[in-house]
Amino acid sequence: MRKRLLFPALLLLVLGLEPAAAARIGTLSETGTLERVARFFALEDASLRYALVGSALLGICCGLMGAFLVVRKLALMGDALSHAVLPGVALGFLWNMTRDPVAIFIGATIAGLLGAGCVQLIRNTTRHKEDAALGFVLASFFGVGICLFTMIQNLPGGNKSGLDKFMFGQAAALGRADVLLLGAVAVLAVGAVFLFYKEYRLTSFDPGFARSLGLRVAFFHYSLMLLLAFAIVSALQAVGVVLVSAMLVIPAAAAYLLTDRFGTMLLLSAVFGLCSGVLGVFCSFIGRNLPTGPFMVLSAAAVFATALAFGPRHGILSRWWRQRSQRARVSRENTLKALYHVLEDEGFRTEQVTLRQLAERRRETLEEAQARVAAIQRHGLATRNVDAVAMTPQGWQRACEIVRNHRLWELYLTHAAQMAVDRVHDDAEVIEHVLGEETVRQLEKRLNYARKDPHGKLIPGVEDIRQGAARPARRATGFGKEAAQ
Amino acid sequence: MIPAFDWQRMVIAPWTEDLQLTLWVFLMGFFVTAACGLVGNYLLLRRMALVGDAISHSILPGLVVVFLIFRQTNLWIMFAGALLAAAVTVGLIEFIHKQSRVKADAAICISFTTLFAIGVVMMSLLETRGAFHIDADCVLYGEIAFVPLEPFVTLGGVELGPPSVLRMGGVLLVVAGVIALFYKELLITSFDPGLARSLNFRTGLWHYGLMGALAVVIVSAFESVGAILAVAMLIVPPMTAAELSDRLSTRLWLTVAVAALSALLGVHLSIWLNCSAAGAMVVAAAGLFCCVWLGGLARRRWLRRQVA
Amino acid sequence: MNPSPTPASSGPNPPPLEVHDLTVAYHKKPVIYGIDLAVPEGSLVGIIGPNGAGKSTFIKAVMGLLPHTSGRVRIFGKPYAENCHRVGYVPQRESVDWDFPVSVMDVVLMGRYGRLRLGQRPTRADHEAARECLEKVQMLAFANRQIGNLSGGQQQRVFLARALAQESDLYLMDEPFVGVDAATEAAIITLLRELKEKGKTLLVVHHDLSTAPRYFDRLLLLNMRLVAFGPTAEVFTSDQLQKTYGGRLTILSDVAQSIGTAP
Repeated sequence: MRKRLLFPALLLLVLGLEPAAAARIGTLSETGTLERVARFFALEDASLRYALVGSALLGICCGLMGAFLVVRKLALMGDALSHAVLPGVALGFLWNMTRDPVAIFIGATIAGLLGAGCVQLIRNTTRHKEDAALGFVLASFFGVGICLFTMIQNLPGGNKSGLDKFMFGQAAALGRADVLLLGAVAVLAVGAVFLFYKEYRLTSFDPGFARSLGLRVAFFHYSLMLLLAFAIVSALQAVGVVLVSAMLVIPAAAAYLLTDRFGTMLLLSAVFGLCSGVLGVFCSFIGRNLPTGPFMVLSAAAVFATALAFGPRHGILSRWWRQRSQRARVSRENTLKALYHVLEDEGFRTEQVTLRQLAERRRETLEEAQARVAAIQRHGLATRNVDAVAMTPQGWQRACEIVRNHRLWELYLTHAAQMAVDRVHDDAEVIEHVLGEETVRQLEKRLNYARKDPHGKLIPGVEDIRQGAARPARRATGFGKEAAQ
Repeated sequence: MIPAFDWQRMVIAPWTEDLQLTLWVFLMGFFVTAACGLVGNYLLLRRMALVGDAISHSILPGLVVVFLIFRQTNLWIMFAGALLAAAVTVGLIEFIHKQSRVKADAAICISFTTLFAIGVVMMSLLETRGAFHIDADCVLYGEIAFVPLEPFVTLGGVELGPPSVLRMGGVLLVVAGVIALFYKELLITSFDPGLARSLNFRTGLWHYGLMGALAVVIVSAFESVGAILAVAMLIVPPMTAAELSDRLSTRLWLTVAVAALSALLGVHLSIWLNCSAAGAMVVAAAGLFCCVWLGGLARRRWLRRQVA
Repeated sequence: MNPSPTPASSGPNPPPLEVHDLTVAYHKKPVIYGIDLAVPEGSLVGIIGPNGAGKSTFIKAVMGLLPHTSGRVRIFGKPYAENCHRVGYVPQRESVDWDFPVSVMDVVLMGRYGRLRLGQRPTRADHEAARECLEKVQMLAFANRQIGNLSGGQQQRVFLARALAQESDLYLMDEPFVGVDAATEAAIITLLRELKEKGKTLLVVHHDLSTAPRYFDRLLLLNMRLVAFGPTAEVFTSDQLQKTYGGRLTILSDVAQSIGTAP
């Protein structure tokens, strides 16, 4: 939230630099890409400076507002409103036949609010569902806008209106007044969110509870819609009607993937918006007069894709990695369990298992058994000498735990859930790896600390496991005898 | 700025002096609106109106990609591109929704805007190299008025009409035919997927079939009305029909009637206001909906007063 | 009290419904564990259990609407897909879109769709059959109404008529008595008894313990696993009910949750 003070300062700085040579981005002659990159970073063109500051500001506004849309599941409302403002833009232009930012701003805001009201009205008075209401407002307002646009274009002087830039956006067309307007909206949005952060968060999360506290939920909803309309309208010039919704939703969705705190999400979302805005201007500048909007959206999409793939907790790759390591763990635990079973069959007379015994127990080849042993060796759960495998204390402890989990669960299913004895094994094979200590305690209590499973085998108890762990591996065999007493 | 309304010039003349022009524009508008509206009825029932919005946007990159591969714009290639785009969109939405905690609405928004942005960027890059000539504005609102200027298709020496109108007519016929033939299947899979599955109907197949039909309809409408106005044609006439009837078969007929009426009104509106014909048709369709909607409200209020 | 079923006969008359070790682990939703039963022909079975016991899950799993984690379902000795035309289904009322533009007649006709070929229209005979079913539930006068313009009891009767129109041998009904008036409830139960007399088999999810013993001749007590299944007189005992409603299997449901949400 400290950024709040930073931006007006930055804005003043840039606007203070008078445009020396007001060259438009588009009027630049053919130059090499490298040269353009150099020019970009030199920030010599006033229009480029305006474009950069404007895009950064709109990124922040859209990011902030978008975060609310995403958590309130109103993403498509943003889409509908961004299309619905089009007739307002045209009417604002018709006001005095110039691209006066203020007139367009007012016209578009009115159209946007009218659209939002229309959605509400259709939902309340017809049997149409939300999606139809949104689609209707989106498409029919846009249709009206197109009619007005083509009418303007056919008017004398209308051809040079530059209104077509509102479709896909051209940050280069941003002027000083546009940037000032954007700055004002950004300050307003950041200020409102900063001041009423608590209220906005509560009304977004649980409007019913907020109402019970006496908060004016409707007021906060409509003030948010107004801010949203402001954000959309001010972003139109640079992003274009069609893609504003993307600038609202994509940075916010990326932030949503990365954090579980709403405050952090707002901050991240604003930062992502800012980055996408600046990146969009950069690409558009390098690419010679290409529309800015699509590039901003693609930058935002790249951020989203990165968050989707590499997010530390919800990312696809990290989840894949977790799944993989969990599968590996399950496999290791199955190895330990097999070793335990072999030892148990021997009556715990020896403390080592041969590879062949393990392979036979698991019904696998020797090579597979070797791989299994190598895996538990790497984790310090067993040691191996030529053909003989022995569990380390940690390995022994884990093996006991798994066997205990398995047998407890079988007992629970046969006792509490009254399942047939021959049915419970497969279920226990899965459950044994996911039972936490907490659940195990409950199970033991529920089963009166039973010591034998439904098949008559002994269930290792908690003190047995601790003891086993405290001893060196070679003395672990004592466990079986103790438990049998 | 609003020209005076001149009955003779706005209403009579188009059908006498400029018959050729008016007729083809009207027919094209009618075919597009009716075909979109018929498919749109099912979208509305399945609460998928905005999936139609999404697919209509993401068709753009599909078209550009198939153009880049085949270097020509042939009817079937365009259909293939549209189907590809629809499949990618639906797949992407599902992927984002399933693989993360992002909700369905945000997933829709993210998928189609990104695909559309890719399409616009590819198009502008191609345009600067002079390799491609889809007007960027055309993507958004098309231009129906160019339709009669196309060289007519002739069959056995008889001039039939502009190829795009004939094509759109064909698409409308196919859509209507499929709905007539599979009315039962579409009805049951939309109304009660549970029962449909318990009766061994392939609900998934019908779902994707509908998405495919949607893609084909939109791509044929693309040139003349553009992406976003196609959404209007998908949603608005079925909504109007839904206000008027609560039988699906009646609604389908009503949609066709509403389509004809909006096309007709749109033609005259565009002549009067000198604006985009496709836009005017959408305005007419939206106006019709508002009339029916407000009329319904007034009627209900009147009935309530009668009772009271 | 061991609920494991008698070994199912695979002879000339396989039972209408045979479930073997059915387990459904459904994402975060109620889970049913290792269900085993064979429903004899011509029985009227009430499925009873507390909220979240998996009653609807069981019905849906039988029809293959939910994927099984393990287990096997046989309808008259064959997999569901091969015998689906012998099964009639009445869905839960909340799952229906009451704004959908279909009339009462259309809904009942849907019951006949299972016997029609792809693209084939309902024939005159189908219309006749649908009309008869509507007559049976005394809803013929409403045949042309849109389904949203009916009372709760009337809506339920329409869906019952649709199930009748399916002319099945095994009926699965999900809470048909919810939100209906007393008269409709009586009419429905009379109809169910009639069907049973004709040798049909019916499984009905029911939530009202007070009426259960009067309505059904067999009960299936369910709480995540099968507690008991048998003739009402044997099964409807305080002991069994205590088992069904009393001791909640907290550990089982907790663990089921943790598996459902595990990465």
